[in-house]
Amino acid sequence: MTSSRDKGLSRIADILAKHPANRGSLIPVLQDIQQDFGYLSEEAVAELERRMGISANEIYGVATFYTQFRFSPPGEHTILSCQGTACHVRGGRQILTELEQRLGVTAGRTTADGKFDLERVACIGCCALAPVVAVDGKVHAQVTAKKIPSIISRYAGEGNFS
Amino acid sequence: MKLTIDGKSVIAKEGQTVLECALNNDISIPHLCTHSQLSAFGACRLCLVEIDGIRGYPTSCTTPAADAMVVRTDTQALQNLRRNILALMMLEHPSACLVCSRRELCEQFRPEAERTGRTTGCHTCSNKEICEVRALSEELGFAELPVPPAYHERPVERSEPFMDRDLNLCILCGRCVRICKHHQGRAVIDFVGRGSQTHIGQAFGNSLLDAGCQFCGACVDVCPTGSLADRYAKWYGRPEAVAESTCIFCDHACALALGTKNGKVTAAQAVDENVPVCVLGRFAVPEFLNGTDRLSTPHMRVGQRLRQIPWEQALEMVAGKLRQFAGDGFALVCDTTSTLEDRHIFKKFTNEVMKSTNYIEIEPDAHGVSRGSLPAGTKAALLTGNFVDLAALKELGLSIVQDCYPTPVSQRADVVLPAAVLAEVEGTILDRSGRKRPLHKACEPPGQAKPEWWIICRLAEAMGAEGFEYESAEAISKELRISNAQLWVDRVEAPPAATDFKLRRTHFRGHRIDEKVRGLRELPVEDPCALEPAQEKHEGAFGILEKHEIAPNVHEIIIQAPEVAKKALPGQFVIAMVDEKSERVPYTLCGWDAQAGTITLVVLEKGQSSRKLILLSAGDKLVHVVGPLGVPLDIELYGTVVLAAGCYGIGGIVPIVEAMKDAGNRVVVVTEARSHYLHYYKKKLQGLCDEFVETTIDGSVGVKGHAIDAIAEKLKAGEKMDCVIAVGCPFMMMVTAQETKPFGVKTLAALNPIMLDGTGMCGACRVTVGNQTKFACVDGPFFDAHLIDWDELRDRRAAYSAQEIHSLGRTEAVVTGHSGGSGCKCLH
Repeated sequence: MTSSRDKGLSRIADILAKHPANRGSLIPVLQDIQQDFGYLSEEAVAELERRMGISANEIYGVATFYTQFRFSPPGEHTILSCQGTACHVRGGRQILTELEQRLGVTAGRTTADGKFDLERVACIGCCALAPVVAVDGKVHAQVTAKKIPSIISRYAGEGNFS
Repeated sequence: MKLTIDGKSVIAKEGQTVLECALNNDISIPHLCTHSQLSAFGACRLCLVEIDGIRGYPTSCTTPAADAMVVRTDTQALQNLRRNILALMMLEHPSACLVCSRRELCEQFRPEAERTGRTTGCHTCSNKEICEVRALSEELGFAELPVPPAYHERPVERSEPFMDRDLNLCILCGRCVRICKHHQGRAVIDFVGRGSQTHIGQAFGNSLLDAGCQFCGACVDVCPTGSLADRYAKWYGRPEAVAESTCIFCDHACALALGTKNGKVTAAQAVDENVPVCVLGRFAVPEFLNGTDRLSTPHMRVGQRLRQIPWEQALEMVAGKLRQFAGDGFALVCDTTSTLEDRHIFKKFTNEVMKSTNYIEIEPDAHGVSRGSLPAGTKAALLTGNFVDLAALKELGLSIVQDCYPTPVSQRADVVLPAAVLAEVEGTILDRSGRKRPLHKACEPPGQAKPEWWIICRLAEAMGAEGFEYESAEAISKELRISNAQLWVDRVEAPPAATDFKLRRTHFRGHRIDEKVRGLRELPVEDPCALEPAQEKHEGAFGILEKHEIAPNVHEIIIQAPEVAKKALPGQFVIAMVDEKSERVPYTLCGWDAQAGTITLVVLEKGQSSRKLILLSAGDKLVHVVGPLGVPLDIELYGTVVLAAGCYGIGGIVPIVEAMKDAGNRVVVVTEARSHYLHYYKKKLQGLCDEFVETTIDGSVGVKGHAIDAIAEKLKAGEKMDCVIAVGCPFMMMVTAQETKPFGVKTLAALNPIMLDGTGMCGACRVTVGNQTKFACVDGPFFDAHLIDWDELRDRRAAYSAQEIHSLGRTEAVVTGHSGGSGCKCLH
């Protein structure tokens, strides 16, 4: 019987097998690991150190340079609050503030219960619908601060955020 | 290869860079990230040059020298560029002292760095004397910051063994990152994050220990700023001299360069810096040698107690007693960490003087443990370390211990003789391959401790023996024909413990090294019997209700002290003790609430005692808070009262502002700080006074300069001032007094000398005011600032400077409940 940890480690081995065994592969490998696991865990980075011979501290240094990598498990749902020009003009800032207050986290963080990731993005590409909030890829158009609780509760399950 | 640099024709060797070639030919090019032990990096951009045929300004550290190259290193354009580059660096490095208009006066008045917890300027930086950034700023004529500087408010990391890290001083030159990889072959630290958030760190915010640091100290040695510091050595400053000797904590016998100050070893480093030494070589030697419990005088048992006696008497007495034990009833036990010379004398003494065959020489095991036993029938023994069980002593008629530290055995011995060890003696030892390595005396042994050969030779002479007339270790080595002892400076490989501290030795002459060198207790070792860390718990009556770091290094503490709160008046102070043994330190009362029974102190972390206080947190208790002490300030109607305040004084003036205002005065408050981020209580004071003026030394907010600059400006403009009251450091108050004097304005200063009882008994707080001796505790704290002898005040405040540095050196790592070794995160 193999534990989930062993399974995880063997998945890392599979990922590494797909890339040339050199330092230059580090970023593509990190991308694949994040794709597979959702984030870069301390265990995954330690395993990379063992297999690639690059110190975990150095890997972490490289990974933290890029905003695409995250180091904690993603929330169940990802909320993107658009702060692009059109959304900004139509009150995107208030929407984000409302989201931050309702969720109790600042942008870029995950709620304590692991339900939501809150991210600010520069433009989603549907400026005619501004201001927009996208949850798990579904775009909510012409959002107002008042609509935020109902949007959140739709995903929160128990509806604790109303 | 022939090049022309600044019009001078020079020759470059193959593979040299333009920078190396220039430096070799005495042409200086400013540089920072370059380091002799490291390959070129090109990060700091200070070594830019102009080269004919190359576009722009290439970095000379990364440009290979080539034939016929024409290089210019010092054009106006380059000077401007470099100054701007340095200015950008200085925006994230506390730099107010570098642009201060009173820099020279300050240096003159207080040349020693003040020992604060957080460094917010050169004046409070342990690295001041050897700071490369400071030297460069002088070289480049940097005098102004283009925009207000940023302070990242990163926690000062003081929870790691041996090293303090204050990343608020870091300029990201990357030397530490590169030397770490170079020395350890594996990065323990790296750049983390990006942009303005970039900092030096470990994966996932782990501690250095968890990240695999081996504590070789190389990062500390290459840091050009005060960001990384050797906790023990930092406040001793630059060594006065450096002596080379051999480390005898293990038999690899690495050569150490020992920095000394006032006859003490304060720092140790590998002589050949390219190969690291282990944590013992780098960090343990000074602390081991300077331990406060070192044996320093001969002692003799009188009844139940060991009593101090002079050497002569001790030797006479021992000689007399030993005569009765001649023959195999006598044994001498030593180990091979004693020098060849010492051991020769030990053996000769045992065989020839004591006529005994029981000369016992122990070879320490891999952990450095030397355990031996006395032969059956031993009646008298001389032990040069902690080698035998306590039980063995019971059988003896005479026990003599000659050692560096007390042990249970020495405490039961009949005679204890203090021995000089390690870098305190001359001599020769054998390393693990049998090569001779020299010990050179780098420092004085503590008190009356003597080299071991000296002790035994004098003892033999006292017994009437001949052939022991040696006056130096050299005389013995000559007789033994020991020659050719060479320091091990051409190390190709580091000793195993330098790359895995678990392999280090744990014992030296039967002593646990980690008992003497506290930082080692946190480093796991291949030895199961780890010491339990001693947890000191202080229980007092004066609870801390709240504690915040309100500005870098400035802490607001609210303490339960109802009796003080009931009687406090503006201008008074309290004396606080954190624990039963701590210093009594006066702190100005910055506020009180008689109903709630609380007092507010604003404490600047500076030195050991305030350090102890600010490391407490809400819920902890102080042992003593005595007060209110001192004469309250005369609160009357003066007209216009100007309060000049700096550092803790900004908090200290609050009650005075309130009272002066209530008395009907027009109150002007002028606060000073090095930079904008060091100001606090702004809103509070603004709400209390009639006019509020902020000054900063770097000009980042308000008036540029000290408080007195804003005051002088007003006086020059003809503004009427009836009384100026200065509360801050002596320098600030002195400057204020000097510059209000020509205007004839009454000026008071709150003096802050060292105090003991605070009730006028001890005289420690003696100050001279107008040629009269006054006690700051009962006659002050406020005095006529124009009459104060400021030099005397400064000197008296520095009276225990050496003791304080020693005490700070022995400070343990901060044990906090915070995770990841990131120290106290209470800054908000």
